[in-house]
Amino acid sequence: MTTLLELRDVRAAYDEITVLHGVSLSLVAGQVVALLGPNGAGKTTTLRVAAGVHPVRSGRLVLGGRDVTGANPRDLARAGVCLIPEGRGVFPNLSVRDNLLMMTFTGRSRAEIEQIAYARFPVLAKRAAQAAGTLSGGEQQMLALARGLATDPAVLLLDELSMGLAPLVVGRLYEHVVEIARQGVAVLVVEQFAAAVLGIADHAAVLVRGRVAHRIRPEHGTHAELAALYLGSSA
Amino acid sequence: MTAPETRADRFVRELAELKIPDPAAQRSGLWLRLGGTLMALGLVLGASAYFISHNTTDPLVQRDALALALGAVAGSVVGSALFLRYSLTGFLRFWMARQSYDLALLADRLFERDLNDGFASTDPAPR
Repeated sequence: MTTLLELRDVRAAYDEITVLHGVSLSLVAGQVVALLGPNGAGKTTTLRVAAGVHPVRSGRLVLGGRDVTGANPRDLARAGVCLIPEGRGVFPNLSVRDNLLMMTFTGRSRAEIEQIAYARFPVLAKRAAQAAGTLSGGEQQMLALARGLATDPAVLLLDELSMGLAPLVVGRLYEHVVEIARQGVAVLVVEQFAAAVLGIADHAAVLVRGRVAHRIRPEHGTHAELAALYLGSSA
Repeated sequence: MTAPETRADRFVRELAELKIPDPAAQRSGLWLRLGGTLMALGLVLGASAYFISHNTTDPLVQRDALALALGAVAGSVVGSALFLRYSLTGFLRFWMARQSYDLALLADRLFERDLNDGFASTDPAPR
């Protein structure tokens, strides 16, 4: 199995405030890794570092075996690193079709992008002419995923996929994530609500105050153990 | 027969070929601030030079003020160029993408209209 993404002892900060204190993670092709943790633990910053969007203060970002610390995030995106940010990142005033059309910057044709998107999420085809802002939360998240898939990602970074969505919708979205991973994509999912993602993740790391406090295999992680980590007490 | 290249293999290959740019390229924020500072400083020094020159009859001081004003104008021009270079590029890049998207959309609409006109002109039904 090819390791596609590695964070090695990464420290990152916002001005003088250090947010990550030596985070190490690795991601293999075809795997879903969940990054859990309470609010303010540094989960989103870890994703941003992995996408090259946030600079590291020390440590290494290794992609596909190559040290790319300090590389331009545009180059990483072009190579196949796709970050889907919290809040979905769709253009609410544009139609679904136009949102997908915006992804033609990747060099793919409109027809090809629509084919990928509609094959994975048929509901988007029915809503093609509808403004993205009027879609339901789940459909907007599908559109965000479809836009991500249009970039032909090798590494998919998902931030709070479940935010504001009903558990049933979240379950369906994560089924899609598993199918995407099965095609050889390495997926790193940041989630605040552990239950949503533990059912599908191959591994999980719990981030507490900028440090990986615990690594679990979902089948071994108990809710009591996780609750203790979230609340900062011993299980 | 060699096995087909997987997405992961292609990712590794493309990253191996990736030219990681000079870290100097990431100093755009610094250049932007420097440009803004030079621009403002140039204006302030230029105005100061005018008042220095205006409030004296000593030609030596006036020449100093002249040199200061020239330096200030040059600094302001360089600062403005830096500021524009590092503040507008992001916006212009997006604007260009939007323009090309609008043009593509317009071309599609014209094409569809021509197609419909074509059908209408070959319509054998009497009107």
